[in-house]
Amino acid sequence: MIVPLLHVLILAGILFVLGLVCVLVWRANIIMMLIGIEIMLNAAMLAFVGGANRWGAADGQVFALMIIAMTSAEVSLALALVVYLHRRKKTVNADEFNTMSG
Amino acid sequence: MKLYLTLILLLPLLGGVINAVAGMRLPRRLAEWLACGAVAGSFACALAAFVTYRSPVTVELFRWLSAFDFQAPVTLYYDPLSAVMCLMVTFVSGLIHIYSVAYMAGEEEYARFFSLLNLFVFAMLTLVLAENLPLLYLGWEGVGFCSYALIGYWYRDEKNATAGRKAFIVTRIGDVAFGIAVIWMFQLFGTISITGINGMGFLMPGGVITFLGILLLMGAMGKSAQMPLMVWLPDAMAGPTPVSALIHAATMVTAGVYLLARMFPLIGSSGTALAAIAVTGGVTAFYAATCALAQRDLKRVLAYSTISQIGYMVLGVGAGAITAATFHLLVHAFFKALLFLGAGCVIAAMHHEQDIFRMGGLGRRLPLTFWPFVAGGACLAGLPLTGGFFSKDGILTAVWLKGGALYGGLYLLGLLTAILTAVYTFRLIYLVFGGASPAFPPPLMGGGEGEGEGVAKVPRLMEAILFPLALLGLFGGLFNISAYLGKGWLGGFLAPLSGAGEEAPHATEMLLQGIAALLAIVGVAIAHLCYGGERRLARVEAAAEPPSGVVAFFLNGWYFDALYRFLFIRPFETLSRVLWERIDEGVIDDSLDRLASFFGWSGKGLGRWTSGRVSVYILSFAAGAALIIVYFAWVVRG
Repeated sequence: MIVPLLHVLILAGILFVLGLVCVLVWRANIIMMLIGIEIMLNAAMLAFVGGANRWGAADGQVFALMIIAMTSAEVSLALALVVYLHRRKKTVNADEFNTMSG
Repeated sequence: MKLYLTLILLLPLLGGVINAVAGMRLPRRLAEWLACGAVAGSFACALAAFVTYRSPVTVELFRWLSAFDFQAPVTLYYDPLSAVMCLMVTFVSGLIHIYSVAYMAGEEEYARFFSLLNLFVFAMLTLVLAENLPLLYLGWEGVGFCSYALIGYWYRDEKNATAGRKAFIVTRIGDVAFGIAVIWMFQLFGTISITGINGMGFLMPGGVITFLGILLLMGAMGKSAQMPLMVWLPDAMAGPTPVSALIHAATMVTAGVYLLARMFPLIGSSGTALAAIAVTGGVTAFYAATCALAQRDLKRVLAYSTISQIGYMVLGVGAGAITAATFHLLVHAFFKALLFLGAGCVIAAMHHEQDIFRMGGLGRRLPLTFWPFVAGGACLAGLPLTGGFFSKDGILTAVWLKGGALYGGLYLLGLLTAILTAVYTFRLIYLVFGGASPAFPPPLMGGGEGEGEGVAKVPRLMEAILFPLALLGLFGGLFNISAYLGKGWLGGFLAPLSGAGEEAPHATEMLLQGIAALLAIVGVAIAHLCYGGERRLARVEAAAEPPSGVVAFFLNGWYFDALYRFLFIRPFETLSRVLWERIDEGVIDDSLDRLASFFGWSGKGLGRWTSGRVSVYILSFAAGAALIIVYFAWVVRG
């Protein structure tokens, strides 16, 4: 079964936009924003894998593995931050944390 | 010879440096002995060098400036002119150092005084002995600095510090011209050796020589207080009296005359330059003599008389009579130092009162000051057979021999000045020493002195110094006796320098001397008629009124200070004020302030964009990324 690269890219694009919209819209909850970021990363990964498949090169797949490793590290760190932020303000609403305003 | 010349210079330098570094830690006696001993040693070396002198010597001590073809080694040149100058400088400053020990006995900061005095002697000897112009210039500036620091010795009084600054700045104007002359001469001749330049003068066209002569004359004007740069010398009297005697009468102010005499082989070929020199000297001599007529301050009278006498010397140089000018320089150094030191005794006796109208009767109270002072006054007035008579007459004779309308007029001006000189000198003597007693009781210092009525005792040492100077002044004429009496020693000694001068016929010389003697006696008679005996009291009473008319004109030095204030200082102050308030504060500061406030304002405006809301950042980030992607897509498509 051959899935054309175009289809893979379209799927990846849809996934990316979904993730982006999730990040932009769901700002009442930082955890949902993190999930949106994960979706975007997965979309990118999908594009890499599709490309690797299309040209028969292993680079894209190696990159996908790197992203998986990085993502797990990122999520563990980000969730620790979320716990810390929640302790400070008893909320996970991103707009509450605006002490950097000029 | 090299040893002597080195020691002449090094001893005062050593004394000055030791006193400057450690003077306050040494016992006072030791510091004073050190200062006096250094100059005395220097005098001994000058004497030894003089005795062993055979022919002009050039001694290179070490290399100093050397770049490409510019060579300015520290080289000393010992010839008749520097020999007599060295002797005079070390001798007079030695005596004045000893005098200062007594005069400055009450001062706390003796080390500063003595180290500056020693450094001054060092700088003056450098000036006199220098073989090349940069070294001479170094000494020239060195004496200027020491003069500045010593005029302002009592710097806590602002008036004194201002007088020091004025002296420094006014002489600096002349120094600039001198500096230009030095650089120009190097450019013209490719050397800065004085003997070298003097030997090459004939290579240059006359106009260049004239210009060089006038530049050198301007340098001399500043240092020697000639018209129009003479305003600093009367104010320089703010310094201690020994300083006035040493720097502002005997040595430093004659440096200009020395410079002109030194460079005479170069500039002597230009008639215009010589005429300018002669006119400067003659007019200055007359100007200062008129001013001295009206002064009330003892030291200012002497300051103006110094300007006047230096005017005579410059006139002598202008007439080409180097020997006569040098002769007058030497004799003047003796008798003017004597007069200043005598004035120091008077001032010490009067508890630092300097107004001559408040003095009087000192002739009987201070006989040991009185008689030397009269001797000095006789020399200054040019009474017959004193040293001052012969030296002044030598200059006037030389001017007469030059002939022509210009020099004839200058001769008459010189004679007029001679009368005025006699008048103001004896006016001074009558007012200070004549009469019964001081016209007012000077502020008493502790304890009634009985007979003295408030006149303080003058230290014996100070009065003892006056005698050798008085003898030298009175019999200074023997150095260079008139031609009809035999061969003058100084004239013969300086002959290689000035060449064979014009010899006046004996009858003419006697006639001219007779005229000069007559005029001096007339001047003394006028002074006696105006200030002698009973009329003195009337004058003193009249002096209580504020001066008016011509007296005020002379008292204020022809209002030259006011003129310069109007011509230079006021415009300068106005310009400074404009530059400060309009340009500096108005344009530069203001534009920077505006710029800073613009950046502050714009920063504040831009800062409002940072809302601190993460969502806004993300949205704008996404929007930016989208824009870039759209742009790329458009580029790729296009």
